[in-house]
Amino acid sequence: MELAEEIRINATRDIVFAALNNVEILKQAIPGCEALEATSATEFTATVVSKIGPLKARFTGNVTLVDVIAPQSYTMVGEGKGGPAGFAKMRTFVHLTDEGESTLLRYEVKADIGGKLAQLGGALISSTSKKLAGIFFGNFEALLNGERAIERSSE
Amino acid sequence: MASNPQKTNDSWMGSRLARKEDLRLVTGQGKYISDIVLPRMLHAVFVRSDRAHAKIVSIDTSAALALPGVVCVVTGDDIVDELRSMPQPVLLPNLPAKYPTFYPLCVGKVKFHGAPVALVIARDKYVAEDAAELVEIEYEELPVVVDPEAALEPGAPLINEDHDDNEIFSMTFTGGTTQAEQDANDKEVEEIFQNADVTIKERFRVHRTGLTPMEPRGVLCDWSDSDGLTAWITTQRPHIDRLAIIDLLDIPADKVRVIAPRDQGGGFGVKAPFFRENVIIAHMARKLGQPVRWIESRYESLMNVGQERDQINYLEVAATQDGKLLALRNRGIADNGTGETGVYWGFVMPFLGAVELPNTYTWDKADVKLRVAVTNKACLTPSRAFGHFPTRFAIERAVDMIAHKIGMEPSDLRRKNLIPHLPYTSTTGEYYDSGDFVQVWDNLMSHIDMAKFREEQQAARSEGRYIGIGFGTGVELSGMASEVLVPMENQPGYGAASVRLDPRGTALVFGGDAPGGQGHETSVAQIVASAFGIEPQDTVTTTGDTATTPFGSGTIGARGASYFMSAVHNACVEIKVKIARILAHDLGISATLDDFEFVDGQVVLRSDRSVKKSFRDIVERIIMHPINMPPGEVGGLEATVYFEAAKPMICFNADFCTVEVDIHSGEFKITKWVSSEDVGNVINPLIVDGQMHGAIVQGLSNTMFEEFIYNDQGQQLTADFENYKIANAADMPDIEVTYSPSPCPHTPLGTRGIGEGRPSSVPGALSNAICDALLPFGIEITELPLRPGAIWKKIQESQA
Repeated sequence: MELAEEIRINATRDIVFAALNNVEILKQAIPGCEALEATSATEFTATVVSKIGPLKARFTGNVTLVDVIAPQSYTMVGEGKGGPAGFAKMRTFVHLTDEGESTLLRYEVKADIGGKLAQLGGALISSTSKKLAGIFFGNFEALLNGERAIERSSE
Repeated sequence: MASNPQKTNDSWMGSRLARKEDLRLVTGQGKYISDIVLPRMLHAVFVRSDRAHAKIVSIDTSAALALPGVVCVVTGDDIVDELRSMPQPVLLPNLPAKYPTFYPLCVGKVKFHGAPVALVIARDKYVAEDAAELVEIEYEELPVVVDPEAALEPGAPLINEDHDDNEIFSMTFTGGTTQAEQDANDKEVEEIFQNADVTIKERFRVHRTGLTPMEPRGVLCDWSDSDGLTAWITTQRPHIDRLAIIDLLDIPADKVRVIAPRDQGGGFGVKAPFFRENVIIAHMARKLGQPVRWIESRYESLMNVGQERDQINYLEVAATQDGKLLALRNRGIADNGTGETGVYWGFVMPFLGAVELPNTYTWDKADVKLRVAVTNKACLTPSRAFGHFPTRFAIERAVDMIAHKIGMEPSDLRRKNLIPHLPYTSTTGEYYDSGDFVQVWDNLMSHIDMAKFREEQQAARSEGRYIGIGFGTGVELSGMASEVLVPMENQPGYGAASVRLDPRGTALVFGGDAPGGQGHETSVAQIVASAFGIEPQDTVTTTGDTATTPFGSGTIGARGASYFMSAVHNACVEIKVKIARILAHDLGISATLDDFEFVDGQVVLRSDRSVKKSFRDIVERIIMHPINMPPGEVGGLEATVYFEAAKPMICFNADFCTVEVDIHSGEFKITKWVSSEDVGNVINPLIVDGQMHGAIVQGLSNTMFEEFIYNDQGQQLTADFENYKIANAADMPDIEVTYSPSPCPHTPLGTRGIGEGRPSSVPGALSNAICDALLPFGIEITELPLRPGAIWKKIQESQA
């Protein structure tokens, strides 16, 4: 599954990049995130509950940030196991460019989905991923503007 | 229900008798494996791999074990020292191959998505399901191989590590047994191609598809120290399963009984192999001293079994300008999956597919070679049209491509090249015993006016409508003689039956095969009723229980009307000989069986029809009152007969269909389907009609809809009926089955076993019809399935 989008965020590039490395902001912005802990500056463990089609799964996994070029881009490499629902491996490239006082955020996701998720949720993976990304960036921008996250669950 | 016709000519043979078993089956009174419940029975659920190829780093069963109601959780490491690995000799064909060593649960690594990694046993099925979800497996992924050609490349990741490459089997089927002979043959074939007027060369690809019996698999095992193991298994071959369990679990032979439930929701080949699940359930029942049952879910079934076809054939055909087929050359590459099932190991199907490639046509020479590759997919399981669905698609398409090239009617080209006289031995060495291909073909052609159809086709084209006609032919094994089955599956081909008369004049028949809906109870009853002059309801048939039935290799390969029914008939004859001898003695006359007629419940002296005795009375006299007997004779009426035909036998069919294709969408509609069949003498036409309809529908469903899809990571994406689409009634055309039978000279009743290979002429006939409709676009279909999108794309490309 591959997904790429551009989003304009009403904040400067430095602020956006800092937020993209801020565990507290990420934890609140990620839909269904139950836990997110930094084990080093670039490594995290995460627990996220997702509902894809008929399957609801609690993913536990690791996320590592690589190729970090502050405040411009990084690649987020993650792997999560959803127990009987299957597993997901993901590689997300995030790139920021200035647009006046705002920032244009471009991301490209490449994900390999396995197990029942791929079988039963196959047709829904792409649309669900787009929806989750939308929720994430909606929350992310709200948090940057000092507001509370709007949506917390993936349902 | 149609009125039940009566017997004709004092015989129930050929009578369209409603099936004895159907009333209970359609009123919910069938007794399937999941209807069998034993006291203290435990429930087993497999934890299956969600990776296609990975090392098992660790398995944490603690959370599963902590769930109340869980009895045990076992993994591969727990059992390696407790039972023997596969293969065992009883499950090995007499064919040289690189057989994988494996256990019922994966040890060390998993080789396909769906492989059994652990087994949870609990007091309740729901608890077992919940506990299975709590088993945590850590994997380390290995490179995945899902393409058979890539699997055969040097340096490809090794799947079965006990061998040095992924080629499980390869064979040259033509020219002789030595390399020098084969090389000489190949050279002669090459010369024919060099000098031929016309040749074609094409890559034909058939996808992974097969059969999905309505009832998935199941195993229920019970152990007692005194009687040993009783195993109820959904299976087509209980006697082979019994031998395999004896060998794998090292249980004394007198302590294992296997029972295939009387009612099984279809087999179609899928339940013919010996499966690893049988072993572990039997082992755990013995170990726990408690009955253990496993019932396969549809999800597991679609992940593990019913996957066949999946083959590439690089086929070349040489012919003359006037349409004489000269030679064929084929390089087949089959995708075997892991190879981890007993009896077939995946490759036995492509093996037979290569043997049957020449089909019904005469060839001067052939050069046929096959390579079979192990991949990270479920092992192929037999699915009727055993092995030859892909090769027959290729050959039937190739024949039409030759016809298109030389501008000849494909039907004329077929008739010109049909094998004119039988018996005949094909270029790959397959023996065709009897029948009349030309007569069956001419019967088919009597149902279509070709000149008129071509006129209609022209007229339609001028209106922008595209109609077409396509043909296919098929020869198939009708039962398997020992001389075929011993090399192919290491098992005897004979049919065996015991017939026992009851003192009240009814018959009990025992057979070691295990039907799954073929109507054996009815066909057997018609044979017995015809033999003894009694009514069909007076016969009760027991199959599938190894404790009570003579050895049979199973309900496989159209063995019913060829081998099993012949054994039933011969056993009846043996009993009649004894009845005649004793009756003649009682009457004080000199007479043998030929002097008596068994009819209407009476045994009648032909020379004086007033001399007769009721069948029931003479049977009761012989069983219950064995005094005043002929010298040397004792009481009782029972016979067990083993029947082996003098020659391997075949049956034959031809099809045509007409289609209309919408060139703007690629969608097509089958407007007519007609078949012509040589099925030998028919026991019950209702049953034969049903076999033909079912087989043709299955061929169409495989050709048009069904497809097992693995992605490049080996993830199997089609594990439910939403994603694995099967034809339903509304998808199917009306099917007109016609007959042009010739009695088989090698069976006592002239019957032929039918239905096993029948689907294989379907993909060729349908593809040929679509290509005929689209002839103005010059489209030749070389890949299945036939999806409207792919056809539309070809139309677009042809216009570019």
